[in-house]
Amino acid sequence: MAFTLRSVKVPPNSASLEEARHRVFNFFRTACRSIPSIIGIYNLDDVVTVSQLRSTIASEIRKNSYLTNPKVIDMLLFKGTEELNNILEHAKQRHHLIGQYVVGNHGLVQDLGTKDQGISSFLKDFYKSNYF
Amino acid sequence: MPTTVSASSLTSPLRLTFPTISQVNGKACNLTIVSMSWAKNGFPSLRTSRFRVSCAAKPQTVEKVCDIVRKQLALPAETELTPESKFSALGADSLDTVEIVMSLEEEFGINVEEESSENITTVQEAADLIEKLVQSKA
Repeated sequence: MAFTLRSVKVPPNSASLEEARHRVFNFFRTACRSIPSIIGIYNLDDVVTVSQLRSTIASEIRKNSYLTNPKVIDMLLFKGTEELNNILEHAKQRHHLIGQYVVGNHGLVQDLGTKDQGISSFLKDFYKSNYF
Repeated sequence: MPTTVSASSLTSPLRLTFPTISQVNGKACNLTIVSMSWAKNGFPSLRTSRFRVSCAAKPQTVEKVCDIVRKQLALPAETELTPESKFSALGADSLDTVEIVMSLEEEFGINVEEESSENITTVQEAADLIEKLVQSKA
């Protein structure tokens, strides 16, 4: 059981939106500081750069930036921390990371290049999310 | 009384005791004379060293910071980017600011504390902080 020590250290609830904001930024900083070791573990040197991964993480965080309930933010932070721990303890594999964080966040279809030039924007929006 | 005012504006640590004693006793004469002589010894070194640390931000550091900010915020090439421009004025939200600080950390190999990174709002402040950290690391 090689679980990292980072697993359960967060107190259950943020008192306010401001504290949740601080936690988000701390999580982002931790994730950014561990990007070099992630690239080292999974040999992603020739596939992605540090700044690309950093902007991927930032866009994931920004996807949920409309939230105002601190408890929901805490829950998402917990899931994010859990994901980061899984990645760092090598519980994932290289193709997981490439598929989820490198290739494309838009349902893996939009960024795959020339094969999909012809599909309509309706389909692209459909693959992206339920609401458009 | 004007002599005690000038004594309290000294930068040497000795000023911690002298002005208070003079206020309690009400006798300014002896103590101010003593503290002025300390001041003559202490003034040149303290003042120059303090000024040297705070004003130093090399132009290539500022240049690199500007490049990183431009790339992060995807600014078009013609927007003017002075050292005094605030990140929020360039269209960056708070997450963008944190991301800029992290990319500066990666670029210069430094580690910025949480408290310091919250006070960075302009390009010049970022360059100064980088200079200070690089100098303390080297």
